[in-house]
Amino acid sequence: MTPSGRPLPIVPGQYQPALPIDRFIVAEPPDAEAVPMDVVFVGGGPAGLAGAIELARLARADAEAGGSLGDIQIAVLEKAGALGEHCLSGAVVNPVAFRALFPDLPDSEFPFRSKVAGERVYFMTGSHAFRLPTPPTMRNHGNYVGSICEMVRWLGEKAEAAGVNLFTGFPVASLLVAGDRVVGVRTTPSGLARDGTPGPGYTPPTDLTARVTVLAEGTRGALTQAYCRWRGIGSPNPPLFALGVKELWETTRPLDTVVHTLGWPLPNDVFGGSFLYPLGSKQVAVGIVVGLDYPQAALDVHELLQRLKLHPLVRSYLEGGEMVEWGAKTIPEGGYWALPDRRYGDGLLMTGDAAGFVEVASLKGIHYAMQSGIFAARAIFDALKKQDTSAAALAPYDQMVKDSYITRDLYERRNMRLAFQHGGIYGGGVKAGFMTLTRGAFPGGRLTSEADADVARTADGVMRVQPDGKLTFSKLDAVFRSGNATRDDIPSHLIVGQDIPPAMADFYSHLCPAGVYERDGVRLVVSPANCVDCKATDDVGPRWTPREGGSGAKYRSM
Amino acid sequence: MKIAVCIKRAADMETRFKIAANGMSVDETGVKFDIADFDGFAVEAALQLKEREGAGDVTVISMGPDTVQETLRKALSMGADKAVQLKTDAVPADALAIARVLADELEGGGYDLMLFGRMAIDAANQSVGPMTAELLGVPCVSAASQLTIANGRGTARRELEGAADVLEFPLPAVVTIDEGIARPRLPSLKGIMAAKKKPLEVKPAQVGESRVKVTKMELPPERTGGRIVGEGPAAVPELVRLLQTEAKVL
Repeated sequence: MTPSGRPLPIVPGQYQPALPIDRFIVAEPPDAEAVPMDVVFVGGGPAGLAGAIELARLARADAEAGGSLGDIQIAVLEKAGALGEHCLSGAVVNPVAFRALFPDLPDSEFPFRSKVAGERVYFMTGSHAFRLPTPPTMRNHGNYVGSICEMVRWLGEKAEAAGVNLFTGFPVASLLVAGDRVVGVRTTPSGLARDGTPGPGYTPPTDLTARVTVLAEGTRGALTQAYCRWRGIGSPNPPLFALGVKELWETTRPLDTVVHTLGWPLPNDVFGGSFLYPLGSKQVAVGIVVGLDYPQAALDVHELLQRLKLHPLVRSYLEGGEMVEWGAKTIPEGGYWALPDRRYGDGLLMTGDAAGFVEVASLKGIHYAMQSGIFAARAIFDALKKQDTSAAALAPYDQMVKDSYITRDLYERRNMRLAFQHGGIYGGGVKAGFMTLTRGAFPGGRLTSEADADVARTADGVMRVQPDGKLTFSKLDAVFRSGNATRDDIPSHLIVGQDIPPAMADFYSHLCPAGVYERDGVRLVVSPANCVDCKATDDVGPRWTPREGGSGAKYRSM
Repeated sequence: MKIAVCIKRAADMETRFKIAANGMSVDETGVKFDIADFDGFAVEAALQLKEREGAGDVTVISMGPDTVQETLRKALSMGADKAVQLKTDAVPADALAIARVLADELEGGGYDLMLFGRMAIDAANQSVGPMTAELLGVPCVSAASQLTIANGRGTARRELEGAADVLEFPLPAVVTIDEGIARPRLPSLKGIMAAKKKPLEVKPAQVGESRVKVTKMELPPERTGGRIVGEGPAAVPELVRLLQTEAKVL
């Protein structure tokens, strides 16, 4: 029995509301006032912006060569108030996709902070850190440390210069469909009162027509989930997600190397690790990433990060410094076996994190996102030239992805994450070692996995940290540091299940890093304005839907 | 009616500021810029006046380097009709030097109404608007929270400490706008599209001598942390003692 009087274990999936597909897939033509576009990218992150830049360039080159395409209108719709404000990553970046998109620029022109100068991997206990040899999958020689916010702002400037229409503060609420075909998108309204009626400053939704809509929504894209469900697009294994919580610190002691850790403060049966990255000589990013298939109902990723900072190794870099930004984001880490069976449809493509292009063993996704955006642009360009944007005409996109390093990398490490669901950190670690040595041939086949929502949560026993406001922070302080200034009277964008028992309310309150969920007696209290769109509960509990533009986090250098 | 709105590009006040290495300005790295808060209200006031009349023309004017074009474009996407950049390397600290540049542009522009924000949220001088009015020799009303125009005359309401007053004035005039007027609208998607095609004229401007200079900028002292004296009624005597002896407020 738990203190709240409900027996454990609990299975989150039992209380998860259904995905509201009819909200996301609307069988209506764009209205008469619709803004006419040729191609709409939903999401202004690395995938959407790289795709828009490549497509604008291909169209311009075609026009200059006297081609038949003519002037095409490209839009990028971003839900954040400004580009990058909802983007969060480590980030150690493989520059290969930047080089592919900007072959004429030297690496020094790219928006990175510094080249990886060295790297260390530690196995941690509560008081010690034991240096391990760097696993081949985690080698970062030749990569760069940077802030995805800065990269995205830079890509935005390039996109604008290339003639792309950038619309920030416009989340997409629905795909507009005719038959099986996506024909446009509808944005969310803004200025709704709490009860959902138009308030002062109300702006109705805007429709945009599109010959091709590219889903570049990022992790757990709501439209991507709905589209896959609607079209019956599955995957061999269910997708798996991790939650990363990250802080940016201004420090006095410079860190000169990229640090990854395994072990403490994570329980042995939990998949994850932490990182310390230097962003120049005065800033350090510290974060922890935890697989959402953890079995402890009371595990709390934000608190684990607070605990991590108390470790002598981490503390020595941060103490005396100042935490300047905080944020959280889920990471698709299902890998190869969790990829959607196809990433194209009639008038539609899926790219980046939304399509699951993340390789968890090397902790990389940004270059896959950008590369998939570039491939999407090439496939769209050919389809537009042929005046045919049907599924068949867009299918070459999938082939380009399959023939590229995106699929090659994910295939090679196809079972690595799954081994941990089967063997914990030690057993899984040994298996992952063999997989690396054999380039994925061992054990071959496909390890199966359980969806995060179906994992039963049992043991308690995760220790709480009393925040001191200097080194460690409460969720409330943390959300303030995310820049979140969402108005309090916004209607809730979260769909919570019925009759949530106290034990499940406790689980949500620990799971959500932003303090959206709290248990008050037997009641679940929800504060949607705190939400930073990390999508953690969307994976196993309450569903996330797009809300008024510009809500949520305002990350600057995450 | 022809309305001009003078707007300034200023840092988003939600930003965590750092002082630049020179000790005299804000370090702009990673800082987000937007239309200065009160200037946004002035743009909104102009757009509402135009909408109420059903006719008119709103010109937004900003002074500074090319970065102000983004700010002007935002005002155009809100609904302003055209924009003018008075191109200078920087905006001087001397309000009179700024006012002279603006007055040169406004003079002979045929504007019925020239709106400013009550103050620039970053410099907080509250003087560029009134100085411009003085240079142009037109009436000036400061910090209006309501504004109506009828038959060539304006009426403005101003919130005072514990009271309000209502002023009447002939056009042309300068009015500086307080926040009570209406929340600035967010640009619509169509507004953003339309703004791309609206005229943005760049005019080189000569800034005269700035007799006022910033010599130092500093952040407010850091707040010292609170202290928990105890909990419940038992803590009251100790709290009272500390308020008397340490804080000396009782």
